[in-house]
This record gives sequence, C-alpha cells and structure tokens, in this order.
Amino acid sequence: MGHHLTDEQYKSQVSAVWRATWIMAVLTVVEVAAALMWPEDMSRGLLNLGFVLMSIAKAYFIVGEFMHVRYEKRALTLTILGPLFFLIWFIIAFMWEGYEWLALRELWGM
Amino acid sequence: MAHDVANPESAWYGGKSPFNVSYGKLMMWYFLLSDVFTFSALLISYGAIRMSAPEWAEPDVVFSAMPFLGEGYPLIFVTIMTFILILSSVFVVRAVQEGHRMNKKGVMLWMFMGILGGVAFLGCQAWEWSHLISGLSHGHGMTISEIDFGKGTENYPMAFAYLFFLITGFHGFHVFSGVCINIWAFFETANGTFERRGHYEMIEKIGLYWHFVDLVWVFVFLAFYLL
Repeated sequence: MGHHLTDEQYKSQVSAVWRATWIMAVLTVVEVAAALMWPEDMSRGLLNLGFVLMSIAKAYFIVGEFMHVRYEKRALTLTILGPLFFLIWFIIAFMWEGYEWLALRELWGM
Repeated sequence: MAHDVANPESAWYGGKSPFNVSYGKLMMWYFLLSDVFTFSALLISYGAIRMSAPEWAEPDVVFSAMPFLGEGYPLIFVTIMTFILILSSVFVVRAVQEGHRMNKKGVMLWMFMGILGGVAFLGCQAWEWSHLISGLSHGHGMTISEIDFGKGTENYPMAFAYLFFLITGFHGFHVFSGVCINIWAFFETANGTFERRGHYEMIEKIGLYWHFVDLVWVFVFLAFYLL
C-alpha cells in the first residue's frame, strides 16, 4: 500500500539495496574464481560446501532485501519460509536414493 | 470461539490484515512458494540422477564458449548472465521504491531498465542454447539426444543434457513471462493507472515474481555450473 516514506527512510533503503547488490556480485565472482582455480588435489567436498553456503547467502539477500521479507511481519515470514523445511527432507532423501542407485548399478555391473 | 468473540480487537477477528499485506500480495507469495517446490523437484531430481551416475559432465568443458571469442572461456559467459539477472532484479527493486514515493517517471525509468535486463538475459540464453545445439556438428555441443565435447567426454550421461535443457528452459520460460508482465506494467504506469489508483502495489507484486526468477537462477547456477 502507499506507505509514503520520509527522505531519510528512502535513502537508507536505496543504499541497503545497492549494498546487497555488491555483496552478491562479489560472492558470484568468488564462486566462479573458486570453481576455476580450485587445486585438483584438494577436497571437492569442501569446495561444494562453500558453493552451497554462498548460494544460500545470495538467496538471503534476494529474499530478505529485494523481496522485502526482512521488513515484513514475523508471522508472514514464518508462513512463507516454514514450509521450506520440507526441502531438507526432500534433499537428503533423494540424494541418499541416488547414491543407492549408484551402489546397485555397481553391484549389478550396469 | 468465545475467546475471539470477546476480543474484537484481536488481529484475527476480521476486517484487518494480520500479516500487514494485501490479499493480492499474500497470494503472490503463496504462488511463489508453490513454484519453489516445482523448481526444487526439478533440481532435486537432477541431483538424484547425478548421484546415481558413475560419471558426470564437467561444467568448465561444457560451458566454455563466449560470443565472438570462441571456446576457452570457462564459465565466464554464464557469470555475465548472472550479473545481468541480478542487476535487472535490482532495477525492479528501485522501481518499487520509486513507487512508494509516487514518482511515476522513476518507476517508468527503472521498469524499463529491468525489462532491458530481462531481454538481455533471454538473448544470452538463446545464444547459449543455439551455440550448444549447433556446436554438435563440429564436435562441441549437445542436444537432448546427443552429447559430444570431444575426447574424454564419451561417457557424459544423456541425463545431463536433457535436464539442462528442461530446467534452464523452464527457468527461461519464467523469465520470458516475467518480461511480458513487466512490459505490461511499464505501459500501465505510463498510462497513469497506478497513479490514479493512489498506489503502486502492482509493481511490488510483479517485482516479487521478478526477484523469484533471480532467486531460482542462483540455484540453477549452483547445480549446473558450480557443483
């Protein structure tokens, strides 16, 4: 709704958005640089963990700052983000399943 | 319940917006939540199939082309695409902020920039797809039924190719529909529809969808280009 902002609020919101933009740009550059320069003999798992964490950080800025969730009522935030906890099960169950398929393939030589 | 009847001041008694947002905005959020699960299902099935494959495609081999420059630039083009989409999202945030100040010209300017960003992203994606598909004829490309990136890529699973086209295609379709909606909003702003209405909430709702498209790209980027 037309909540009219004071000049001060407006300025601080604009600068918060540009700050989030810079952070996301830097995170993306770091991700790509890491993907290209990661040494062969170092653990891929550590790198992948870094990628996932940096992506979640970017998601935080998009949802929190751009989509304004940081400034919404707590109850609204919870109804939006709460159901996402199902994804934790979803990801674990299906990665596990995929890993089992691989084991079966190797067992049967497929 | 008796408790509620006794307390008409309660936020849930009716006649109020307990979440402090309008019905339309709340429903946009719930639509986006359902879309989150659609994209999650696609990306998680990608993950499960990938886990089950003994070998998988190397992103820096597959995505190494740049327009005008040829091969040998791993992940650079897709990074540019990511920046374009993030910037486009930021431009629409600026449009929303100008809308709060009832600044019609500002909304139009930033919506226009956002549309340009969306179109640029779609152009990049069209180039990427057509380059991959046409690249097959000279041994560096893929379609949904064939993969060939030269020596050492003989065992790349087909699933990689068709999931790539399915998921980036589904995302690209979201970007395309977002651009169409943004163009509509630009002309409605120009016509003064929102100014007469007294608020620019429509720009906020459309903006939510546009940021969501950017959000999905973060995870598509993670799954296909980084992990």
